[in-house]
Amino acid sequence: MRALVIDDSRAMRRIVASILEGFGYETRPAGHGREALDVLEEGWVPDLACIDWNMPVMDGLQFVSAVRAVPAWRSVTLMMVTTESEHGQIVKALAAGAHEYVIKPFTADAIGDKLALLGLLPTEVPA
Amino acid sequence: MSAPITHLLDGETVTAVAGEVWSALVGEEEYLVPGYGLDGPPVAGPSAWVTVTGPWNGLVVLTCDQAGTADLTRSVLQMRADEEATEEDVDDVLRELANILGGNVKSLLPGPSVLGLPETGAAPLRASDEDTCRVAASWRGHHLAITIQGATEAPVFTTEVPL
Repeated sequence: MRALVIDDSRAMRRIVASILEGFGYETRPAGHGREALDVLEEGWVPDLACIDWNMPVMDGLQFVSAVRAVPAWRSVTLMMVTTESEHGQIVKALAAGAHEYVIKPFTADAIGDKLALLGLLPTEVPA
Repeated sequence: MSAPITHLLDGETVTAVAGEVWSALVGEEEYLVPGYGLDGPPVAGPSAWVTVTGPWNGLVVLTCDQAGTADLTRSVLQMRADEEATEEDVDDVLRELANILGGNVKSLLPGPSVLGLPETGAAPLRASDEDTCRVAASWRGHHLAITIQGATEAPVFTTEVPL
């Protein structure tokens, strides 16, 4: 399984990627929404995108809307991973097309639980 | 305009939020030892902060002593003992910690509010004590401070040591 990790913080990209790789994912990083769209446009379409909300150039919400506007990318599961925890923001992200929402700070178990809910937890996790 | 921050939050709440952030990002066995408030010792080191704009306007600032920032970076990035954190790594980790602290503090304030992108530099000047909630703490013997300070047109105070 493949995951695109979109966050302007290199530290957070590294943390999220490391958790996902622990679950058996192949990951690619992107520093903002526009960079992530470039990855999709080059044909690397992931099963999952983990998306921060507040980023320069193109924020997470704009990215979600952009992905949802392209039928070829409908298979991508979009999971917001963000500090934005106001109810209104969560509703806005889900209405734009995000499937799940994880609030920072999180644990590896919290990400694992969300992946299990989404049916995106590979059955064989590497040792 | 909302009430000053001291009417909305107290040091205990900020300490609890910071503790959660620490155990999730820095490490499960990593503890922040809360120390003093506004009268606590100044921290000599870089700061990172995010703005909160809404009914309450201000900044959430994290300041950490110089040696602490390097240790913090190595912990967050799970670096090996022989790996050196670059200036860019340190900056990035401080910004992200401030961002997560800011987001969690924002969720406790009247909303809706908007969180700005994190910035780093010398600790920003702050407003009056009434609109400032500061928690001084230590982690592995390093000093750090988390300050939630109201925006003001004429900030004049600073608790931390200017860079």
